[in-house]
Amino acid sequence: MNKLNTIEVKELTKVFDKDVKAVNGISFTVTKGEILGFLGPNGAGKTTTLNMLSTLLRPTSGTAKINGNDIQKEPDEVRRSIGYVFQDTTLDIELTGKENLDFHGRLYGLDRVTREKRVKEVLELVKLTDRADGLVKTYSGGMKRRLEIARGLLHHPEVLFLDEPTLGLDPQTRRSIWEHILTLNEEKKITVILTTHYTEEADYLCNRILIIDSGKVVVLDTPDNLKARLQGDVVSLTVKNQKLIEKLRPNLENKEWVHKINIVAAGNNYAAMSRMMHVTATDSSKTQTKSESKNNENHKTEKNLQLDGKKCPRCLNLLLDNGGHRIPEIVKIAAEAGITLESVELRKPTLDDVFLSVTGRNIREQEGSFIDMVRRHRIMRQARGKPRR
Amino acid sequence: MVQPISGQAIYVVLLREIKRYWRAKPRVISSVAQSIFFLAIFGLGLGNFVGPVGDVNYLSYMAPGVIGMGLLFGSVFSGVSVIFDRQFGFMKEMLVAPVSRTSIIIGKILGGSSTATIQGIILLVIASLMGAFVPSFAFIVGSFAAVGAMLLITSGFVGLGVAIGSSLNDFHAFQLLSTFVMWPLFMLSGVFFPIDGAPFLLQVAMLADPMFYGVELLRWCLIGSGTAILGPLSWLISLVVVIGFNALMIGLGTYMFSKAQI
Repeated sequence: MNKLNTIEVKELTKVFDKDVKAVNGISFTVTKGEILGFLGPNGAGKTTTLNMLSTLLRPTSGTAKINGNDIQKEPDEVRRSIGYVFQDTTLDIELTGKENLDFHGRLYGLDRVTREKRVKEVLELVKLTDRADGLVKTYSGGMKRRLEIARGLLHHPEVLFLDEPTLGLDPQTRRSIWEHILTLNEEKKITVILTTHYTEEADYLCNRILIIDSGKVVVLDTPDNLKARLQGDVVSLTVKNQKLIEKLRPNLENKEWVHKINIVAAGNNYAAMSRMMHVTATDSSKTQTKSESKNNENHKTEKNLQLDGKKCPRCLNLLLDNGGHRIPEIVKIAAEAGITLESVELRKPTLDDVFLSVTGRNIREQEGSFIDMVRRHRIMRQARGKPRR
Repeated sequence: MVQPISGQAIYVVLLREIKRYWRAKPRVISSVAQSIFFLAIFGLGLGNFVGPVGDVNYLSYMAPGVIGMGLLFGSVFSGVSVIFDRQFGFMKEMLVAPVSRTSIIIGKILGGSSTATIQGIILLVIASLMGAFVPSFAFIVGSFAAVGAMLLITSGFVGLGVAIGSSLNDFHAFQLLSTFVMWPLFMLSGVFFPIDGAPFLLQVAMLADPMFYGVELLRWCLIGSGTAILGPLSWLISLVVVIGFNALMIGLGTYMFSKAQI
């Protein structure tokens, strides 16, 4: 095993109930001190993968090593070297914050002196020292999450798993948790795997992002590389109604400086790109070189691409170069066609666009069962500190 | 791979059970109050109507059974609480830690047994204050023996609770559990009426009820005599049955828990 790889995963697979392949042959490696993000929609297999890596679930096939310890053959060593902050709260709300930490410390075999010292240390780290003696049920959602992160660190693990760490939290708390994670990673060189469906979170925190969909690795690369694959700018236009779009489109389609054009999904312009590049599901070890990406880019046989899902029939997206300079021309073209544009938006491709382009789906259009939806809703309410209905 | 049993883990699971029990004061108070009502209303009311059972008055006859009721419900619900742990996620915290499931179970059983026994002791004190028992040296000795019996009886039922809680996945099965398991176990344990005069089928049912032997053991400790059907050595028979039931239930509980998925 390569000494620098803290985590090595080979062809990890989990099949439930004979048919459901929650995780389908995932392979990747993580180097020491890296923050790796698993980005994917609900049901992609992120949590199941973490559950296998943390020895809570037995894989159906495949192997993984954490810090040199095999997850199936040496589970105790694995457990000792990882911390896991779960998606739902796993705190005992009838105990105090300090008691939760003490409990954890004893389970991980810390002696009294070490325990007391570390409890103090982590409480200071997440700024919960003055609330430590209160019952956890009096904590807000953000405080609970901070306590859980504190708890995950108590035994100084080498690897930290964070499952949707900021799900359901307000923007301020999210920022503060992000800063905590980054500080930890810098100061203590903890390797982190975090799962999220928030693309901006993945973008901000992660050294590399693994996009996972339907149990498979779709792509694994740094955020910058991923965004660079979508070359150019995005200009989004809205007009009054669909008829006008049909009128406007041909006038823009034939312009050679327009790389791609399409009709956008409803609501959020951000998530509204169609296939911008041809990436098929690859082995994670194969990352595309710059020249390969270029070749794929030139594969623009289809300029007009439609999206599945809800459409916003009066919205149009263009991928082109030098968006800022093309806007006056676009407005002119529309005016010449007798169409008034309601809005024009210029932006750089975001990870949402990348996600959509590699998976063909909008990350926010969650598929997944009704139960999943209810459960996520409950988690979000929990995170906000609301009582169970 | 055999994981060592961790004393720390056992201790901390046990401690958690006790802390949680103690902090749920309304629950403690209401379950104690329930037993007081039983004793007072049935013991005195029905007692007047029914008259003495053997050579003890009805209240004295009932008291060990009512204590047993407190033990039964307390211990089974304590064991079944693993289902809450699972639903509310705390179980995951325990399972991802480097401790064996066996340690967790032992802690759970000791914890559940202790809290149920505390409840039993409270009931014992209250029953004594109500005049259910004859104050004497024998009684004092018997009380200590009774506490030992309580610990024994409750551990088995915590094991049963864990076995059930590990196989249930939701709360609705609770209703079924309560109606079809708990109440029959309680009612057939000889709390309200002696087995001796009962119809044959009922006697069979009662002899099949493990709680019957638990109550019998308590009765021996606290009153000094038991039912006629098992003969003069009924305390010994009861003890053996209780211990056997314990071993079986603890084994079953441990097994079911180790197989439970998160």
